[in-house]
Amino acid sequence: MATLQPQTQTNHLQIHRLPQSKYVDAVRWMPPFSAFDKFVVLSFFDSDSSSCTIEIHSLDNSPNNQPILCPLSASPTASRTSSLKTSRDLIAFSTFSGSLNFISPDYRSGEVSLNSSISVQELGFHVGPISCIDVLESECVSVGEDGRVNLVNLGGPKVDYRRIFDGNGLVSHTAAKWASPAEFATGGLGFSLQWWDQRRKPGEPALQFKGNWWPQQPIVLSGVGSGKGQAHLISESEVWEVQFDSHSQSNITSMPSSRLLPVMMCSEDGILSLIEQGAEPIELLAEPCAINSFDIGKQNHSDIICSLEWESLAILSRP
Amino acid sequence: MPAPASDSDTHFSLLPLAPSSSQDQSLPVIYPIRHSLSPPISRIAISWARGNALRVSLFRHHQHVGDGEDDAGGRVVEVKLSGAGNGGTDNDAQWRRIVYGSVTPFAVFQNRKNSALALSKLPVGALSDVEWWEYVMEYSREINSLLGTAKSTASSTVEDPRTILAVDEEPNNLKAAWELLEIFYADKPSQAWLPERLVDWLADYDGLFADTQSTVYSKLVDLQKDLLYLQAIEDDPKYWDGLSSALAVGWLEIVVKLLRLHGSCQLDQLGRRETENGLVEAVVVLVSKVPRLRPELRAGRLGECYRNKTDFIKAWETWRARVTKLECSAFWLECEHQQTKEGLRKLLQIMLGASEHLSATTYNWVELYIAHFLYIRPFTMGLESMYSLAQKCIQLKPVSHHNSLMGLLLGILGENTEVVLAECSKAFGPWMVTHAIELLTAGNDQSEILLREVHDNLGGVSIQELHRLVYAQVLVSHQLTWQTTSTRKARIAQGKTLEICRLYELESVSSNIMKIAGVHHWKHGRKGSGIFWLQQAQDEIRLNKIAQKLFDFVGKSISQETFKQWEGLIELLGSDTRTTGGLEFLHKYRDFKKALQQVGDGKAKDAARRAVESLITLMKSPSTPQRFWLPLLYDSDTGSPESSRTHFMAVDLTHLRPQGHVCCLDYSNNGCRESAASGLTATGKDYGQGRAAEKAKELKLLTWREGPLLDASQTNLLLNKLQELSMAKLRPDYVEADLPPQALNSVRLALARNLGRAILEEQ
Repeated sequence: MATLQPQTQTNHLQIHRLPQSKYVDAVRWMPPFSAFDKFVVLSFFDSDSSSCTIEIHSLDNSPNNQPILCPLSASPTASRTSSLKTSRDLIAFSTFSGSLNFISPDYRSGEVSLNSSISVQELGFHVGPISCIDVLESECVSVGEDGRVNLVNLGGPKVDYRRIFDGNGLVSHTAAKWASPAEFATGGLGFSLQWWDQRRKPGEPALQFKGNWWPQQPIVLSGVGSGKGQAHLISESEVWEVQFDSHSQSNITSMPSSRLLPVMMCSEDGILSLIEQGAEPIELLAEPCAINSFDIGKQNHSDIICSLEWESLAILSRP
Repeated sequence: MPAPASDSDTHFSLLPLAPSSSQDQSLPVIYPIRHSLSPPISRIAISWARGNALRVSLFRHHQHVGDGEDDAGGRVVEVKLSGAGNGGTDNDAQWRRIVYGSVTPFAVFQNRKNSALALSKLPVGALSDVEWWEYVMEYSREINSLLGTAKSTASSTVEDPRTILAVDEEPNNLKAAWELLEIFYADKPSQAWLPERLVDWLADYDGLFADTQSTVYSKLVDLQKDLLYLQAIEDDPKYWDGLSSALAVGWLEIVVKLLRLHGSCQLDQLGRRETENGLVEAVVVLVSKVPRLRPELRAGRLGECYRNKTDFIKAWETWRARVTKLECSAFWLECEHQQTKEGLRKLLQIMLGASEHLSATTYNWVELYIAHFLYIRPFTMGLESMYSLAQKCIQLKPVSHHNSLMGLLLGILGENTEVVLAECSKAFGPWMVTHAIELLTAGNDQSEILLREVHDNLGGVSIQELHRLVYAQVLVSHQLTWQTTSTRKARIAQGKTLEICRLYELESVSSNIMKIAGVHHWKHGRKGSGIFWLQQAQDEIRLNKIAQKLFDFVGKSISQETFKQWEGLIELLGSDTRTTGGLEFLHKYRDFKKALQQVGDGKAKDAARRAVESLITLMKSPSTPQRFWLPLLYDSDTGSPESSRTHFMAVDLTHLRPQGHVCCLDYSNNGCRESAASGLTATGKDYGQGRAAEKAKELKLLTWREGPLLDASQTNLLLNKLQELSMAKLRPDYVEADLPPQALNSVRLALARNLGRAILEEQ
C-alpha cells in the first residue's frame, strides 16, 4: 500500500465524531442561505424500527468546540436512500426501491423546512434500486442496477422522464455525473465509463472507455478491475466517493492548466484522503470502519462532513 | 398438529405455553403476531428475515380461500426479535455502539498477539511477561470502558452525612461480568490479592443480586430512606442490622458514617451519653483500621493496607487483639442503651469472624463469601481453596434462583472453562464470548487447547470459531440488507463482513454472503451484478452454471451484431486473475472478435495473427463448449452481413454461395498452391463450381491472401475438432448451431485449403 502520511498541513485539522444511533445512508451540505448558517441534509435508516427519514440539521461548528447538530425538519421516506444530491434550491434523492424524489427546502422564517416533495416512481422508470443520481439545474440523471439511464426534467409543470438507454441488466450502472447541460458521464461495473452527449448522439454513449482509457495512463485510485498498474495503489480497498477539491485556492491559480485538480476520496477501509497529481496522498481521517460518503462545503471548502459505517458522522474543519 | 387456539383474531399461538417448571428458567418471550387472517390457519413457515427479524408466513386452509373478497389466502409478517444476543442491554443503539467500539481494541490486541507470537519464535526476541500482561490489561480496560461508567454503588463519598449510598447509575450485569473476567484472567499483578479484588467487585455490583431477593445493598437502600425521618435511629433494629451487614461485606466507610449518626455522637447528647459515645468511637477506630492484604485502597476507602503477607499477619493479630480487648472491656456494663450495647458488640463479633453473625447478616453466598475473606480467611490463596470456600458458603446459603453472575463466578473459581463460556453465552451472547475467550486464553494454555480443539458435534469447528462465527453474524445482521439494497450497500455489508471475518479468520462466511448476493442479483435479471458477485466469491460452480445459461443465449446471436450488447458484460470478465469459470470462453471470444475488428485498422496482418492466436486458444480451451466450435470457425471465415465497417470480414457465405464457392475467395496468383489445396479437400465436391467473388479482396482468416495464417499443426488441430464435431453430431444430445446448413462443409474446405498452403509454405 502507498504510504499515507499525515503531513504538516493536517496539523490544525479539527476532527469531531458525532454518534447518531441510526445508520446514515447519505449526507450532503445544503447550499448556505446566509454566510453564518450551515445546514446539512441527512438520510437516516433506523434499523430498530426499519424506518427511513430525510432530515435537515443546522450545524454549529465554531472552532475549538464540539459541533452541535440540531434537527430542523424531518420527513419520512418510503425506502432507504441510495443517492442524495443537492443543488441551489433542490434536494434530490433516490431510493433502493427505485423512486426518485425532489424536495425544495423552504428557507422562510430563518429556519429551513422540507416542503413540496415530488416523486417519480412510475412503472418502468427503473427496475429495482437506483444506484446514483446527479442534479444540474433542473435536470436530473439517474442510473440503476437495471442498466437504465434516465433523464428527469423538473422544468415544466409536471415531472417527466426520458429513458436514454436500457442496458437490460446485462451491466449495472453505479455512478453518474453531469459535465455540462448536455453531457454527462456514467460508470458501471467492470471499470467501464461512458460519455453521453445528448446533442451528438442521443440514445447511446458518445464515447466508451473500457480499460483502454487514454494514451496516457489514468491516475489509478482504486485497484478493483483496473487490470494492470496495480503495483502502486492509493487505496487498498474500494473507493466509495470521489470529489474534486478546490480548497487550496492558491494552488489552483498557480497550477498549470494541464494539471488535475486535487481530488478527495473516501474508502471502505476507513480512509479519507486528498490526492494531488504527482504527490503522496494526504490522509485526513482514518477510521476503524468504512467512510461511506463525504461532502465538501459548497461555500466554505474547509468544511467536510463524512458519514461513517458505524452510525456516526465525522466533521472536519480544515485550517 | 395441535389445533390453533382461536380465542383471538389478532393473537395466534400454536401451543399452550406451560408455565416454566423450574424457577431457574427465565420466562419465554411472547411475540404476538398481527396477521388479521380469519382462522383456521393450516400451515406456518418461519424463516430468517433481515437482521434479528423472523419472517412468518401463515397460510389458511386451501378450502377456505376465496370465501370472501377480502380474505387473503395467507399473510407474511415479520416479527422483530429483541434482546437476542445483545448482552442483556435493552437499548439496541447503545448495544451497537459497544459492538462498534470493541472492534478497534480487538484488532489492536490481535495484532499484538500475532507479533508476540512471531517474536517468540525468534531466539532473542520474546516479549516480556510484564509487557504481555500490559497489553492484555489495556485490551480489557478498553472493552470495560465501553460497557458504561458504573460508579461504586457502595461508596460514601457523598457529602451529606445522611446519605450513605450513592444511587445514581444502574449498574449492569455485562460490565460486572467483564470485570470478574478481568480480575481473574487479565489483571496479573493483582493475583496476589484476589480476595480483596472481589471485595471491591461486590461493593460495585452487589445491587445486581437484588432482583429476586434482598441484598446488603437493598437493605441499605431501604435504611437510607428511613434515615431521613428517624430521630433516634439507634432505637431502630434496622439501623443495627444495616450496620452489621455493611460491616460484614466490608463497606467500612458506610459503617463509620452510620455510626456517626448514632445519637450519642450528637452534640446535644454528648454530655449525657459519654460512655456510649466512647464505645461508638472505639468501634469506629477499629473499623477504620481493618487490616487489608492489598497494596492500596481507592480514595475514601477505609482500612490499613499491607502489601506484604508477613506484615499483614502481624497487623492482623494486633488488630484482633484490640477487638478482643474492647469486647472484654468493662465499659459495656456502664452502657445503658441496650440496643447500642448489643449492636456494637455484634459488630465486634463480626470483626472477630463469628460465623453465625456473618451468616445472619449476609443474604447470599457471595456476600457471605466476601465476609469470610475479610474476617475469617484473609489468607485464602489459590483458586482451589477459593473454590472450596465458595462451596462451603453455598451450603450455608443455597442458591434459590439461577444468577448468571454467581454462575460465572463459580465457573471461574472451579476453573471450568466450559461453564464460564456457557454462562457468558447464555446471559450476554456471542459478543461477550468472543471477547471473553481472549482473556481466557491470555495466560492459560489449557483453555486455549480446549477452545481451539475441533469439535465434531459443532460441525467441525472449535468452540472459539463457533462463537466468533455467531458474533460475526450478529454484528452484520443489522446492516446486512443486501437482499433489498444495491451493490454499494451490499458491498458495504460485504466490506464489513470481510473486516470482521479478517479479524475472526472466517473467510468462508464472507464468501457465502457474496455468493448469496450474486445469486440474488442474477435471479432478478441483473446479470452483470450477479456475475460480479459470484466472481468476488470465486464461486466456480455457479459461474459455470451461469455460463451454460449464457451460452444458450449467446448461442443464438453469436455471429450477429447483437453480440455487441454483451460487450459490457464481457468487460466484467476482464481480468484473467479473477475466477470466471466457464465464462472464460466469453472473454476469449470477445478478444477474438476484437482482433477480427482490428484487422481492418491498418495493421491487418498483426491483427489477423492475433485473431488466429485467439481462435486457437479458444479452440484448445476446455471451457469452450463444443457447440461453439463450428460457429467460431464460421465466424473466422465470414463476418456479419450488415456491417462491413466493424466486421470488415463481411464476406457472407450466404451471399456468395449462389455465385461461387469458398475456394474462389482465395485470391492467389499461385495456381500451384491452389490446386494443391483443392487436392487436399476432403469434401470439396463443390469446389470449382463457382467463380471468384467480387469481394474477393476482403479476405478471411482461414484463407488469408498473403499466405496461410495457420500453420499445418494448427490447421490439423482445427480439422480434428471438426472431425470430433461430426462424430458428436451422431449423439442424441447434440445441439445444432444456428448456422446455414453448408457451414460445416465450407469451413472444412477453407481449412483444407489453408492446410495445403501451409504445407507448401513450410516446405
